[in-house]
Amino acid sequence: MLEQNRVVFEFRNPEDLESWTVSSDREIGGQSEAYLKLGKYNTCFFYGTLSSAPPKDGETRYSGYCTMRSKQMLASFDRKQHYDWTTFNTLHLRVRGDGRPWMISVGAETYFAHQKDDMYCYFLYTRGGPYWQDVKIPFSKFFLSHRGRIQDDQHPLWLDKVNTIGFTLGDKANGPFQLEIDYIGVCKDYAHTEEFAYEVYKRNPEV
Amino acid sequence: MNPIVSCTLLITLGLGTTITFASSHWFLAWMGLEINTLAILPLMAQYHHPRATEATLKYFLTQATAASTLLFATTTNAWLNGQWDIQHMTHPLPITLFTIALALKIGLAPPTIWLPEVLQGLDLITGLIMSTWQKLAPFALLLQIYPANSTLLIMLGLTSTLIGGWGGLNQTQLRKILAYSSIAHLGWMILVLQFSPALTLLTLFMYIIMTFSTFLVFHLNNATNINTLATTWAKTPALTALTPLLLLSLGGLPPLSGFMPKWLILQELAKQDLALTATLAALTALLSLYFYLRLSYALALTMFPNNPTGTPPWRLQSPQIVYPLALSITATLTLLPLTPTITALMTP
Repeated sequence: MLEQNRVVFEFRNPEDLESWTVSSDREIGGQSEAYLKLGKYNTCFFYGTLSSAPPKDGETRYSGYCTMRSKQMLASFDRKQHYDWTTFNTLHLRVRGDGRPWMISVGAETYFAHQKDDMYCYFLYTRGGPYWQDVKIPFSKFFLSHRGRIQDDQHPLWLDKVNTIGFTLGDKANGPFQLEIDYIGVCKDYAHTEEFAYEVYKRNPEV
Repeated sequence: MNPIVSCTLLITLGLGTTITFASSHWFLAWMGLEINTLAILPLMAQYHHPRATEATLKYFLTQATAASTLLFATTTNAWLNGQWDIQHMTHPLPITLFTIALALKIGLAPPTIWLPEVLQGLDLITGLIMSTWQKLAPFALLLQIYPANSTLLIMLGLTSTLIGGWGGLNQTQLRKILAYSSIAHLGWMILVLQFSPALTLLTLFMYIIMTFSTFLVFHLNNATNINTLATTWAKTPALTALTPLLLLSLGGLPPLSGFMPKWLILQELAKQDLALTATLAALTALLSLYFYLRLSYALALTMFPNNPTGTPPWRLQSPQIVYPLALSITATLTLLPLTPTITALMTP
């Protein structure tokens, strides 16, 4: 009840990497590459090469993404298990990037809502350089997107059934990239009382 | 939601319950239950949020299952007994099926897994309607069914009090806590149903008053988890002083009103030579009391005497009408001395 900080993901041994999935547009015929490995000092290293050359399939016009996403937690008998972050209100990361902008995507449970491509996203601007970056993003800042498109009808992310968290690079800058993550955690910031950062306008207003 | 649509749905909700109250034919009673279910579904899904959709879907599935089981029991009863009257049922098979169907409808354990999830996905006012109004029609039917299966009712009651107490221990979300509180209270109601239906009615009435107060207090403070409760002293200091008493009344502590039904139920169970059942029920009440006490602790015992470390919330004028809350809190806290009068009124 009074828990204020919790480390959700850390990278101490190879088994910790097993709970992450790495993918890139290579799966749809693109030329990006992405790899995940353990760093030297209990960190994870997500690196590769981004290429925005579209696949030669005649229909895809844009391409160029690399992503790492946590796998769905499973309980016994392959039942889905969710993260319950309701007592927290801020995502706390310790990362060391290369100056590129990343997108953090949090996936909540959507089985009953029939909206399985809904994601709650926010940006992560990394500084290049040798110094670590402590990033604190309130969950109220995450906006709803569906298949990558920001939705009109926004609502805040509910933290009672979080399934996955992911980092995506798609800044259209071809070349190598790297992101080193020390830990991913959640914390409760009592000074942050905002419920949702975005205005929701009334659709079909009375005239 | 458009006010005309809201009005229509609320009136339909009332209509469904009234149809069930007024019916002596099982088919009409079933129709009333279905109207109730269908009317509340748009109210649950009005906020375009995946959790609200999930709650609506889960509620629909469970209620549809219960209604179909009820209809099956109805037709079985008509086949075995040759009549559809609610009060003239003798065969144990349809009676058992009815009991199980209505237990699923109101959220008694064991088939109670849906209630916390559904309540969690709703806003506080819709949750209030679901916890109070939606219980009336099924109870109206349960009170009329001849209790042929005594063991089933006692097992349902004890399991509900146990699961209601245990399940609420690990929760920080207030709506889930109130769901488990609801399960536990329903358990107490069912325990005494076969011995004294009037006591079941009294317990239901007291539960509705207490839950009404609790939901409205949380709605006034816009509180949905325990952390938010901890800052309500800055918003509504007088109400924050009363809310722990309200929660302890829910927990059944004397000298508050919530003690009355528990006391009378334990007395009735002891009269029926069910001392073990009474003891188990009393012990499971301690589990529920723990999480009520935890809420009271977060509300009233975690105030800083000097500047708080967090930002205190703005004290804004709430648009909520508070007179119903004032009345219900008064009833929640002060009805215990009326026990002799109520007992006298209950005995025929």
